[in-house]
Amino acid sequence: MTELVDVVLGGTFHAAVLFLVAAGLQLVFGVQKIVNLACGSFYALGAYFGITAVGMALKLGMPAPLFFPVLTLAGLAIGLVGLPIERVLRTIYRRDESYQLLITFGFLLMFQYVFRFLWGATPRSMDNVYMAYGTTQIWGVRVPTYNLLVIAASLGIAVALGLLLERTRTGRIVRATAENRDMAEGLGVNASKIFALVFTVGCMLGTVGGALVVPSSAASLDMAVELVVEAFAVVVIGGLGSMRGALVGALIVGLMRAAAISLMPEMEMLSVYLVVVAALILKPAGLFGKATA
Amino acid sequence: MRLTRRDFSRLAGAGALAATAPSVFSPAIAQDKPLKIGIIAPRSGVVGTAGECGIRAVQWATERLNKSGGIAGRKIELAIEEETNPKDTIERFRRLILQEKVEAVHGLLSTGVSLGVAPVAEEEQALLVMWDGTTQDGVKEMMPNPRYVFRSTDNECEAVMGSLLAIKHFKGKFKKVAGINPDYSYGRNNWEAFRQILARYGVESEFVAEQWPKVGTMDLTSHIAALKASKPDLIFSSMLFADLPVFMKQGHAAGLFEGVKLVLPAAGWQINLLKKEFMPEGIIFGHNTLYFDHPQASPLQKAFVTDYMDRYREAPHWEAERAYFALVAYKAGVEAAQKAANKWPTQEQVAEAMPGLEVESLGGMGRFRKDKIAEQIFYQGPSTNNNKYDFPTLASIDSFSAAQLQKPPGVDFWEWIKNGKMPV
Repeated sequence: MTELVDVVLGGTFHAAVLFLVAAGLQLVFGVQKIVNLACGSFYALGAYFGITAVGMALKLGMPAPLFFPVLTLAGLAIGLVGLPIERVLRTIYRRDESYQLLITFGFLLMFQYVFRFLWGATPRSMDNVYMAYGTTQIWGVRVPTYNLLVIAASLGIAVALGLLLERTRTGRIVRATAENRDMAEGLGVNASKIFALVFTVGCMLGTVGGALVVPSSAASLDMAVELVVEAFAVVVIGGLGSMRGALVGALIVGLMRAAAISLMPEMEMLSVYLVVVAALILKPAGLFGKATA
Repeated sequence: MRLTRRDFSRLAGAGALAATAPSVFSPAIAQDKPLKIGIIAPRSGVVGTAGECGIRAVQWATERLNKSGGIAGRKIELAIEEETNPKDTIERFRRLILQEKVEAVHGLLSTGVSLGVAPVAEEEQALLVMWDGTTQDGVKEMMPNPRYVFRSTDNECEAVMGSLLAIKHFKGKFKKVAGINPDYSYGRNNWEAFRQILARYGVESEFVAEQWPKVGTMDLTSHIAALKASKPDLIFSSMLFADLPVFMKQGHAAGLFEGVKLVLPAAGWQINLLKKEFMPEGIIFGHNTLYFDHPQASPLQKAFVTDYMDRYREAPHWEAERAYFALVAYKAGVEAAQKAANKWPTQEQVAEAMPGLEVESLGGMGRFRKDKIAEQIFYQGPSTNNNKYDFPTLASIDSFSAAQLQKPPGVDFWEWIKNGKMPV
């Protein structure tokens, strides 16, 4: 039983981080129809900036329990980098999709050099946060409390995002723009502003994810690419553009991977790809995606 | 002085002669020009940190050597290019030799890349001295007798040494063994070598878990859960890059290491990230060919480590040593070849002169074998957290020569593991 709890908690932690990156990807595609290959770069940017922010908090003498909110705020703040990037993307909104892929891939490559220039090639880590929250016993399993905080934060963000999109006026406008941009503009919606807002929020989801995960891992130049493949698996399984799909897809990928690692380590990623293939054959639009003609 | 038309014609004729007969005049001209050496090393991606450490060391060495006359009287000038994938790196290698006209290329960390570049070096008859790359497909040597390509020690040296030290320090204290190793040939060969060496020396072991995270996996919580479930007495891991510190941090937080012995033969590569707060003591900890805190370090090593730590605020690791070794071995080869030929040597003459020349490198004396594979000194030992740094050092130091840790020329690695002479 303890082994099962350990595996489930490990998978859920992975899913929590994966959800944040995939949710950003989904939001941007859902509204702007852009497949943002640079979503992993925002995740890495959040991780690097989180380390800098905690370093500053340490210098200011902040107590360790405050580091979690510091990291969340750091992720939100650096996510504003989405605004100038969206200005660049505006130039290709009406062009062929291949331009979008190329430009976002360009950002992915450029960010790696920005990280090296600002933070160096050596992976950066922070150790004083992960341990500061101690451990918690859950059904006889010792779990780092920090992991539970990340899972809770990810769930909180999922709920908040759902409420924003479903229950607020801004959310309705965003959904209307996603449905039919020209019609929304005809009704007086400033689509440019909505696109800037959506892209920045999508960017913030990635940067917050990176900032929250870095105490348990490290910020490295290659981390931008690490999660992108899995994030796209989440999108295929959950359905492109669906936030519910991002949540369910992330849980499926996280738990499937954890189970495979425990039962048959060689199948770690293969198990995920098998689900992707099954989804493409049985439900091409994904679990919550809309079928297109 | 007035220049007559006849004087001008004579001078122009001499100039034309010089231009059309470069071989006659090139030694004298060559002596005046800086000696250009190409460096190819990764500066981004997972290996970026290792490449950066090597580049820093070669820049330090260049500055130092240039102060004392450079190589055979010529100042060294570096042309640095990035090592990425095999295709692009081959293009950069060609650019260095054909456009930059470098006299040798040093560097390369990835065997995947060096397997592609090495045949091009042979084809172009260009001297290539690798820092950490080999020309092995797994453990099989693909280029037994190259003319221009000098390779690093076998990748498995550290695993062989770590396995022997696990027997020395832990024999009789463990039975259930688990492994977590990177999912490519390096990790797989190291794990298999460890298993076979335990079996060869009669260490009764039960292998309870094998984990193969892909390189760059930053969330290892599920792997750790699987290892915990197998309840091992000893864990062997040849993980590299940021993956190892992440594993140690997450493993410590999950209580994986309580009462468990650890063998980490490649830990020294990421020494600066392995913080005491999550590193248990008594780990068999590998530093490869440079242990930065060796109490009996040579004046050369002490000078380098002091300068490096003052400047970069971190400890250097073995990539610095490999880069330095490549440069001084090349220097020795050029100077020996020049002495023998009594003129500036060709790359072929340098390549012929280099094998067997003993040079002082940062980690001790080293040389290239006749088959152009390096032989250097390896350092490992049980770790301690009782030191002035925020990461572990060695409580006691074991050192072996690569001659004791790698297969002799022409011998199959797995046969050598079974029957070869080992320093037990």
